[in-house]
Amino acid sequence: MSQSRECVYLLVAPPSRSVVACYRHLAACVGGSMDSLQLRDELRQMRQKAQNLATALCHHLTGHLRDKSLPEEQRKEMELLWVAFSSSLELLHVDICKVLKISSNFSLANSASLVQTGVQGGGSEVAARALSLPDLNQTQARILPPSLETEEHSTMEREIAQIDHMIDDMEMKVNVLRWTVEPHGPQYADPLSSTDSASLALVSVVEEQPGPRLQPLCQRSHVFVLLLLFAVILVAVTLSVCVSLFS
Amino acid sequence: MQAASLNLLSKHLVGMVTPTSRPLLLLHIFIFPFQAEMILLEMQDPNTGVRSQPQRLVITTIPHAITGEDIVTWLADRLQIDVQEARSFGSMLVALGYIYPLQDHKRLVIKPDTSLYRFQTPYFWPTQQWPVEDTDYAIYLAKRNIRKKGLLELYEQEQYNRLHKWMNHKWDFIVMQAKEQYRAAKERKKPDRVVFDCQERAYWVVHRPPPGTVSAMDYGLDRRTDPNADETQTSDYYERIMIFTQQAIMRPRVKSSVSIGALVKHCATYIGHDPFLSACLPSNPWLTDDTTYWNLNMSNVETPTKMRVERWTFSFKELLSDPRGRDDFRLFLKKEFSGENLAFWEGCEDLKWGTAATMKEKAEQIYKTFLARGAPRWINIDGKTMEVTMKGLKHPHRYVLDAAQTHIYMLMKKDSYGRYLKSPVFKDTVKKAIRPEEHKFNDAQLEQNARNRRPSLSPIILRQQEQELRAKMAANAPVDITQLCRFTTPVPHFSVYSGIIDPPSSNTSPSLPFLPHTPICPSPISVALDSTSASERRLEASEGEGEQNTEARVPDRGNVSKSRVALSLRRLLKRGCSPSAMFASLSPKCHTAAATSSRIQPITPDEPSQAPPRRTGNFFQIKVDIPPECRIYPIESEDEEEENRLASEEVVGTEEIICPWESLTQQNGTG
Repeated sequence: MSQSRECVYLLVAPPSRSVVACYRHLAACVGGSMDSLQLRDELRQMRQKAQNLATALCHHLTGHLRDKSLPEEQRKEMELLWVAFSSSLELLHVDICKVLKISSNFSLANSASLVQTGVQGGGSEVAARALSLPDLNQTQARILPPSLETEEHSTMEREIAQIDHMIDDMEMKVNVLRWTVEPHGPQYADPLSSTDSASLALVSVVEEQPGPRLQPLCQRSHVFVLLLLFAVILVAVTLSVCVSLFS
Repeated sequence: MQAASLNLLSKHLVGMVTPTSRPLLLLHIFIFPFQAEMILLEMQDPNTGVRSQPQRLVITTIPHAITGEDIVTWLADRLQIDVQEARSFGSMLVALGYIYPLQDHKRLVIKPDTSLYRFQTPYFWPTQQWPVEDTDYAIYLAKRNIRKKGLLELYEQEQYNRLHKWMNHKWDFIVMQAKEQYRAAKERKKPDRVVFDCQERAYWVVHRPPPGTVSAMDYGLDRRTDPNADETQTSDYYERIMIFTQQAIMRPRVKSSVSIGALVKHCATYIGHDPFLSACLPSNPWLTDDTTYWNLNMSNVETPTKMRVERWTFSFKELLSDPRGRDDFRLFLKKEFSGENLAFWEGCEDLKWGTAATMKEKAEQIYKTFLARGAPRWINIDGKTMEVTMKGLKHPHRYVLDAAQTHIYMLMKKDSYGRYLKSPVFKDTVKKAIRPEEHKFNDAQLEQNARNRRPSLSPIILRQQEQELRAKMAANAPVDITQLCRFTTPVPHFSVYSGIIDPPSSNTSPSLPFLPHTPICPSPISVALDSTSASERRLEASEGEGEQNTEARVPDRGNVSKSRVALSLRRLLKRGCSPSAMFASLSPKCHTAAATSSRIQPITPDEPSQAPPRRTGNFFQIKVDIPPECRIYPIESEDEEEENRLASEEVVGTEEIICPWESLTQQNGTG
């Protein structure tokens, strides 16, 4: 039984988390300037994966939690997972509903009506991360037949209903008292060690007023470039001096 | 066709939008989003919409940025409105979150210069369907915390802690989810990442505004039913419509000329006193953080402000509702010897607003003091009202004295109020009233004021002060002239209503009933005492009585002194000696005083049938106590025999004052 619990922890939970997170990223692109067939396709694939993971996790957790013979700390662990899973299911539910609504309002056929949000690239990398595939097949941009769109809508609605049902089911079958669940982790998420300094710098630039702040930054970069140049020149001079000395 | 419908919509929108301040913005929230979205879609059209340009950042450029002035000109052009209105419309779009500013992201306004804006992605558009979840906010804050390495802003930090407390069970999930989203974001290209961060930040600035900013999302309390949703037309719905229309027909109507005239008059009268519409002297504390205005207008201030005094002249209600005005009026009534009206009115208010537990005894007290025949502070109400009140007093409730109170209120309003406004008391107050100078603070001083803000006195302390003041006023009350009874000593516990009684020290010297009164009594008595030599005789008489009364004492009564005094005074009256002569001599003076006031005692001096000495006592009303063992009688029904009987009864036993609802038989026993 502990093995299956381990399996749940390691295999099923993280991908489901990442799927939910990536779905949100891509959902934010829907209706924007980079909304495309590809995006919708990726969303669909992610939804499918999410569904599969969700059902698997749901069965596992429900099975374990309904087991009366579970020892206390294991039960607590399960309950933690349960709470996390139900919250992520709710997030997914809201995201799918939003995507449904937005995609029904912003039809891909009328590309001029897509909002110019400033997003340039697609969400392919994010989707790849979610689906844990090395790369996605780049589907060609093709005209979307209207029937496919409605079909997609109905599929989405069915999926929403399915998730709804799953949530209800979970609540009915297992009674987890949320106020008894104590989280393990710290209050503050640790800053990730592998921070991308360049991107951080970029984002921090955007945080501040870019107008006045750009000036010192530019000046600083200018100065840095100059210093580099100077160092290079110095090195070149010393090298030439050495060469002349030795020759 | 779509263009036509859009035009129609835009005309409709133009009618809705007004270039005024934010409060109107909130009205449009419920009807606005759909139409705003249509306008927005037009705006972002690459061909016909607002001109977009790339935003240059240090490392990269991001397209689709628009300048504020472009937005304003486009809106003015498209909707055929003037620039000012276009600006406010644009600001509304920004405040709702459809467009977000790239610089100065916390101020959600359109700046009609080259400052940049961008369209928000539809995922983050404000719509009513999906409520803004705290879970999402928690995840956002956790992400931000990761990015800024723990340096959140103060309000964000507070929110974070609060959410951590309330969503503790989900916290692992939230932190994990934040990390996942952060990692997923890193997969994207840099410009896209920046754009997404800006979008999310803008979304949360709209929906969780930093403190001190006005949020366009404030819509008040959540309602049980959505007012915009269509209601199903069931029979219940139609029944409600029918009831409503029936009641609307039955409602009494006023001609609009009359009601509008009243509104206009009200506005014209009060416009100078409205702090929104005209200057508040010296300065509005809410704007300048300077509390002089409140200090000058407290309820126990010595000299009121000119504006406040002017307000008293508007209506009697204004005068009574202002505590300082009420004090002034009370002073005036005291000079006119008609203070019992106001006292009765205040007593009735006390009854109406008091706690239910004390209601019965309050009603009793009021009855004893003001309404019963021969009460010390008898008020003059007509027979019918008195009948109704008496009937109601059998089963006293909160509003039992309402009819009498209204009668007295009207009396005061029609009669005393007019005289008060012409009286020297009021004229004096007007002359002394101050007009404070207007403050002119510059910015530095305003900041300093804001820094020096201190909390005002707590309401508990204020209430205690009020009660102390009331007790103090009750303690040194001037004598209110009421009917002359045999009883002269005052009672402390009546202070609640009259607010004024004699000092209880008079109880300690029962042998000299009048002397302690002399300094406090109004001048007629002292004049009388000076003018006649009867005072000595009276004194010696009362002293003699004092000794005699010791035998007649009832040992276990607490108010023995009062009975003694009562007996002595009764003896005095029986003799028909100098006090009454004194009173008679003074009657012309008092007659004028009494005639000018409307609180004529029930026994007028013109009744010829009774013996004058007894009745001239009517002009003097010294506030007295009613000893519990005596009945209250008007003087006219007094007899020698009754007095004797009462004297004997007093010795034998004691009974409480009979209130009409307690026992009917004894009330009329000796009447």
